[in-house]
Amino acid sequence: MKKGWIIAIVIVVLLVIYGLTSYNGLVTSKEVATAQWQQVETQYQRRFDLIPSLVESVKGAMSQEKGVFTAIADARTRYAGATTVNDKATAATQVESAFARLLVVMENYPTLKSIETVQNLMTQIEGTENRIATERQRFNEKVQSYNLGVKRFPRSIVASMFGFDPLSYFEAQTGAENAPKVNLTQ
Amino acid sequence: MKKYFLVLIAVLVPLLTFAYTSPGSPQGFVNDFAHILTSVEKSDLEAKLVALKSSTSAEVSVVTVPSLGNETVETYATKLFEEWGIGGKEKDTGILLLVAPTEREVRIEVGYGLEGAVTDLQSGNIIRKVITPAFKEGKYGEGISGAVEALSAIIKNSPEAEQYSKTSPTFDFQLAPLFFIGIFLLNIFTRVLGKTKSWWLGGVIGAAIGGIIGFVWGFLFAGIIGIGIFTILGLVFDFVVSKRPPGSSGPGGFWPMFLGGGGRGGRGGGFGGFGGGMSGGGGASGRW
Repeated sequence: MKKGWIIAIVIVVLLVIYGLTSYNGLVTSKEVATAQWQQVETQYQRRFDLIPSLVESVKGAMSQEKGVFTAIADARTRYAGATTVNDKATAATQVESAFARLLVVMENYPTLKSIETVQNLMTQIEGTENRIATERQRFNEKVQSYNLGVKRFPRSIVASMFGFDPLSYFEAQTGAENAPKVNLTQ
Repeated sequence: MKKYFLVLIAVLVPLLTFAYTSPGSPQGFVNDFAHILTSVEKSDLEAKLVALKSSTSAEVSVVTVPSLGNETVETYATKLFEEWGIGGKEKDTGILLLVAPTEREVRIEVGYGLEGAVTDLQSGNIIRKVITPAFKEGKYGEGISGAVEALSAIIKNSPEAEQYSKTSPTFDFQLAPLFFIGIFLLNIFTRVLGKTKSWWLGGVIGAAIGGIIGFVWGFLFAGIIGIGIFTILGLVFDFVVSKRPPGSSGPGGFWPMFLGGGGRGGRGGGFGGFGGGMSGGGGASGRW
């Protein structure tokens, strides 16, 4: 009788300890993923700060390509108005594709590429694109490890008890996961 | 059974690491896996980079690889940077100059901590004006050492350079000494606890150790868990050694395999490895 109680208490204590460590583990990995998303947004912001400068410096020479510039401006406005992570991700992808179009169009203006300012801006934008890709990939990794914690048994019980929902991955549109390539070295 | 397990691992491991394959472990600041540098150029570069590290604490690593595999030069650089941990762990002041002669691609990957000092623009300019012109003529050594000089100059002249050299006293967590201290303590406990036929003393000592850990950590929670875990561990440990007091299992006591174990396997070449830094895809790339 007495032995039975001791065993029961030990089991309960162990369960509580397991619950506490699981809960803390989930909180930590969720925070890590959220922090990583902030990194992604920082890089987005950096891109949006750079794009207008590039647009300004090439606009004059590319006066007949108005459509591209409107598309970029629209996408930027949409990003500024986005509040949720998903909206932001979608808007950011739109900026990306509009911007990629600008880069393609710019290929038709070889004189533009030889201008030092344009060249410098392109280097900076290229760097930013690569940073975005890196941070985004890391965000997905963090989300993956958090989601595994939420979904794997028996931790999933703790997760559902305290309302931990799986986070959604950043899914780039097909073709958009590659940073727009600019080649100025040749 | 064991064989199947090994086969399983052999099948799974490549799946996990799918596209990126590590070129190996760092042998110094200069790692010429593609063999495009002469030994004089290599030692010259190494000396420059060691000097830079001691004056600014920035770790600049030059790596040439025979192949990038399926990766782009950008993703390869980021992954290699992370794997080796170039730059200090807290400040991330590392730079990787990656050269892939087969793909004719080059990248300067800048760690988080140096992004302010070495901008993408500066990296891009070094690649465009120093590296690619020399590489086009096949002068790899010249291009790389020119780039290293330019990078050193930027790092030394940056307004933040002073703060880089002021390294905060890093808590160097050496595992090997801890391991030996642990074994030593284990050995003492084995002798003491093994002498007593009872096995409750181990539980008491375990609880005390747990309490100390909780106290050091400063968390009530850690203390409680520590006491719980270490009490159980202590009980089990004492139980085991009391069943087998040292000496009864032959000469050498209970832990001869640990104490008499082989020498320490140090890293080759006297290079202590990098500091555990990270990069976030900053820098620039180019082709020649």
